[in-house]
Amino acid sequence: MRDLQERLGYLVLAATAVAYFAVYTTSLGRPPGSFDYLAILNTTMPLVLVAVGQSLVVITGGIDLSVGGVVSVCVAVTAATGGTPGWILAVLALGAAAGLVNGVIVAFGRIAPILTTLATLSIYTGAALWILPVPGGSILPGVRAVLSNPGVPTGLAWLALVVAGWWVLRRTRFGMRVYAVGSDETAARAVGVPVERVKAGVYALSGLCSALAGVFYVSTTTAGDANAGAPFILTSIASVVVGGVAFSGGRGSAMGAVAGAVALTLVIDVLFFAGIDPLYQSLFQGLFLVVAVLLGTAAALLARRRTA
Amino acid sequence: MNRRALYAAAVAAAVLVVGAVLTPGLASWPGLRAVLVVASFTGFVAAGQMLVVLVGGIDLSIPWVLNAAAIVLTTTSLGASGRLPLALALAIGAGLAAGLVNGLGIAWLGVPAVVMTLGMNGVLQGLTLGLSQGLTCDDCGHYAPSPLRDLFAGTVPAALLVWLGVALLVTVLLRLTVFGRRVYATGVNPRAAFLSGVGVKGVTVALYTLSGGFAALAGIMLVGYGGQASLGLGDPYLFESIAAVVVGGVSILGGRGDYVGVVAGSLTLVAVTTVLRAQQVPEHGRLMIYGLVILAILFAYGRERAHD
Repeated sequence: MRDLQERLGYLVLAATAVAYFAVYTTSLGRPPGSFDYLAILNTTMPLVLVAVGQSLVVITGGIDLSVGGVVSVCVAVTAATGGTPGWILAVLALGAAAGLVNGVIVAFGRIAPILTTLATLSIYTGAALWILPVPGGSILPGVRAVLSNPGVPTGLAWLALVVAGWWVLRRTRFGMRVYAVGSDETAARAVGVPVERVKAGVYALSGLCSALAGVFYVSTTTAGDANAGAPFILTSIASVVVGGVAFSGGRGSAMGAVAGAVALTLVIDVLFFAGIDPLYQSLFQGLFLVVAVLLGTAAALLARRRTA
Repeated sequence: MNRRALYAAAVAAAVLVVGAVLTPGLASWPGLRAVLVVASFTGFVAAGQMLVVLVGGIDLSIPWVLNAAAIVLTTTSLGASGRLPLALALAIGAGLAAGLVNGLGIAWLGVPAVVMTLGMNGVLQGLTLGLSQGLTCDDCGHYAPSPLRDLFAGTVPAALLVWLGVALLVTVLLRLTVFGRRVYATGVNPRAAFLSGVGVKGVTVALYTLSGGFAALAGIMLVGYGGQASLGLGDPYLFESIAAVVVGGVSILGGRGDYVGVVAGSLTLVAVTTVLRAQQVPEHGRLMIYGLVILAILFAYGRERAHD
């Protein structure tokens, strides 16, 4: 039953993918082609990356509202500097540093994660507006060809890298400690897990993920906007939820969140091809979120009854 | 009253005094009145947010509950004073109904508060946009009936008396009634409260229902203040309501806090923004300073207890 809830993301993704395929084929009279898959991949990459970072934080029992600000500031710097490889490295360092600030305040300052990141969200968003007051900027075509090539699915390679990164992280000492801190902080402390450093680490990683998302965002849209990050706050939380990561901490995986993020992106396409008025879009997204979670809970309950 | 509420009041007083020194206009009644009126909107949403935070919950549906109520008010009153009572009842009723559904989902279906209220926010956003055709419907352009707009006229606007009424109501409810004791008992330890006979589920449902009602009230007052409803009216109040609650000394973990503190918290946040605007600090500077002020306050009295 526990497994079922943790696999929620994959089940939801599978169901959404089937719906997408069916709705697309019936409305256009042909199955989706490589162009469609590529478009989905490139538009979903930023959310996938933010969701991975968010899931790490949520697994430790925290939450990161500042992802919106970190994405914004990284989008702003990338676009304002033209996205040269050197600047992109600087952006990644900047994102990790911004995340580390959150982590240090949460872990050593003992301020609740939701409040810490609420305050830094405002600070980082302000910084983004400072750097890029009006939407614009650019990114090197060469960088774009490597990150989100509109003709070749380079995004797949990056997605594979994310999956591989998680696969490795999960098996490192740090990865084990992330789960230990999330499932029982007191017990983790008692067996010698450096809880503070683990927490600081996950927020730094979340910042790094948001920075990567920011770079991908500029690469896909070919320009920057200082408010680009704001939508990622709630959508990354929704991805994590649909992906079966529990807010109580210690359960779920970043891969579930990746599945959740892709499912949430696909839902928009499903609604579009089903001919739903775009004005009603968020109604169905909201229902999707609640129903996905309810199904997960119901399935877990049923499984528990059967074993009991 | 708890100690943190006193700190919150002291911070609000300090911010207002500093503001009055920097911006002489703030020292006059019209200047202070403007701050109080704008702070009252935050005060209304924060009243609801505080009630759910007291039991360790959170309400992320505030923005579109507020916006939906505002649009219900203008489209049902059609600017006619005679239709105002009906319109008020429908707008508040819509808010209470949304809150009730939130509460039922959280208490009885066991959906996490973040998920349920985030989903509700999406559902209401979709419904509001769809039914009003993106606020282009025939009845959408109506002004608020004049009695509602008159609430903001005069030396002492009646809107401030409404806020005073809300403050008294919430304080009496929490501090002088059995229900209030149950709220704090549930917030401190839901399990212990349940075992000593508190109907934890009923309390939770009641609080989310009230939160919906207060968000609707804020929407109604904002329509009276601005004259017309608009889309995105509630967006700034999601994070602002949470900030006002914690700056007001309410523990985000639940069980501790008073509305007096939240009033002070709302005043602090609005006064900071007002003073920065008066000093012609650009938007990016305002955002950054706003975040830093919240962080500073959190460090002063929003920290959690040390581990062992």
